[in-house]
Amino acid sequence: MEPILSVKDLSVSFNAFAGTVHAVRDVNFDLMKGETLAIVGESGSGKSVTTKAILGILAKNGHIDSGTIMYQGEDMAKYKEKEFYKIRGKKISLVFQDPLSALNPIMKIGKQITEALILSKSIEKSKAKGRAIELMEAVGIPNAAERYEAYPFQFSGGMRQRIVIAIALASNPEILICDEPTTALDVTIQARILELINEMKRERDLSVIFITHDLGVVANMADRVCVMYAGRIVEVGTCEDIFYRPAHPYTWALLSAMPDLHTEETLFAIPGAPPNMLHPPKGDAFAARNRYAMKIDFEKEPPYFKISDTHYAATWLLHPDAPKVEMPDILKHRIARMREEAERG
Amino acid sequence: MAKYIAQRIVAMLLTLFIIITIGFMVIRLMPGGIFDEAVDMTFEQKAALEAKYNLDKPIPIQYALFLKGLVLEGDWGTSLKMHINVPVWDIIKTKIPVTLYINFFALLISLPLGIAFGIVAAIRKNTMTDYLISFMVVIFISVPSFIFATLLQYFVAFRAGWFPIIFDATSVGFEKFRGLALPILALSLGPIARVTRYLRAELAETINSDFMLLAKTKGLTERQATINHGIRNSMLPLMNIIVPMFTGIMGGSLVIETIFSIPGMGGIMVKSINAPDYTVTLAALIFYSLISLITVLIVDLSYGIIDPRVRMGGKK
Repeated sequence: MEPILSVKDLSVSFNAFAGTVHAVRDVNFDLMKGETLAIVGESGSGKSVTTKAILGILAKNGHIDSGTIMYQGEDMAKYKEKEFYKIRGKKISLVFQDPLSALNPIMKIGKQITEALILSKSIEKSKAKGRAIELMEAVGIPNAAERYEAYPFQFSGGMRQRIVIAIALASNPEILICDEPTTALDVTIQARILELINEMKRERDLSVIFITHDLGVVANMADRVCVMYAGRIVEVGTCEDIFYRPAHPYTWALLSAMPDLHTEETLFAIPGAPPNMLHPPKGDAFAARNRYAMKIDFEKEPPYFKISDTHYAATWLLHPDAPKVEMPDILKHRIARMREEAERG
Repeated sequence: MAKYIAQRIVAMLLTLFIIITIGFMVIRLMPGGIFDEAVDMTFEQKAALEAKYNLDKPIPIQYALFLKGLVLEGDWGTSLKMHINVPVWDIIKTKIPVTLYINFFALLISLPLGIAFGIVAAIRKNTMTDYLISFMVVIFISVPSFIFATLLQYFVAFRAGWFPIIFDATSVGFEKFRGLALPILALSLGPIARVTRYLRAELAETINSDFMLLAKTKGLTERQATINHGIRNSMLPLMNIIVPMFTGIMGGSLVIETIFSIPGMGGIMVKSINAPDYTVTLAALIFYSLISLITVLIVDLSYGIIDPRVRMGGKK
């Protein structure tokens, strides 16, 4: 399969009052055509910053230090603001976390959906309304023709997120980036929005980058998963690699910390706090919170060790000289249960 | 909507009634009688005059008589001292137009200019342009309008001779505008600065909002996003300061009119308080109150035009 978007050694930093924050450090990933790639990590791990860098919408004090973002044979990391106009919305679209604040409160939603199309002259004004209604129907808004004239405050959170998705899909993009699209919604609505994203992906042949900290969502959505910690991707693999054969202690910890219906022990919590990205630690950023940490973890950053063709992890535990370490029991039981459930369907 | 407007007008009249009541009482309770300085009048003459103008009656009865005359006959009473026995309405009706002229003109030019400077400052935030605008804003907000009036009068009118030094009340058309240009300018500088400062803050915040980011990610240019989404949203809070701004302009014009010898309501108000001329003071007070209340009403109604949430919320 061909990668449609390829991020290589991407580093992004922000000039803050206290110094330079290294938010993203040497991130590599390929987005294959037609796949859903999930980026998982806790708050501040650099997930959103990575996607904002792709779209050139970093905050004013942020900038790409190094690396390339290859799309259609061009390096978007070197794009000027003007060059992004032919990409944003048209080729790569973004769905936000909070649909309550993502829509302009005083503009009719029909206009918000087609505005970009009209301004970029990709559709005639007279046809715009039909197109908007079509899109609203596609994302499951009932009575679309009537609601064309409605304002955002007349919609519920879930409906607003559908509108945001309709806006994102208006110009038939190739890539859809979903930045925690369900975090602000309640759980029942969440499932429907995820279903909608999957449906749109199938119908429109989209490639999706799905950012979340919710592993339950990842399991339902993703083909492949990148686990990010402190601005780096620490483990990457197919959904099965990550859920059934996790290799990085951080992935172990994340999976152990996921609440489920069957766990009888106290839920696992990762001790400590993420490192301060003003001064990223030497060595493995997770070492200080890692109960399997070795001396070398504090001294040298681990390279990526290949586990299989699809599965890589950056941890010294995979080094041939490292002592054999088993994943924690709680996780073993959990994985066994997940397999069982998966088999039962 | 019609019901809402009717409600607002009733509430406005009620407010006006309360203002008139308090104003009437306060003006009457000011120390000093109208004929105190008339030392050549005999006691009997004074008593006869006071009886003629109902000044010998208790204040509540005076008030009732005044209201009766005003509501039933549109009678504002006659001037007691400044233009003895001339009906108050005849005095103020010639003064109202020129005062409205300069006040509304000041408002009319300060809004667009303030908005324009505010937008520029917000878009160029933390650049030299922004610093320059913000510097001017601080000066124009902190220095009162009569200082600018005096400076303009001296430098632009007297030294340069580009404008008349004092207003010629007989002029019409463009000459009239030329005569009033400096007072209008002096009145506008403060409001322009206030609008600029307010809009800069609002727009700078709106530019960082999620819906601006969405506008950009869906393919709008920075400029299109700012014009289509940023500016109108930052206008909403601006409506809040229009009322205090306009009353500020009117307060300023009390003094400015005197500086440029403009025969307007400001001069009448000040002179009638000093005279003292109860009936004229009260009429001027009612005029200013009414203008302010109408401004409040217009601003409140226009919320609905700008913000659909206000308009639709009222329908439920």
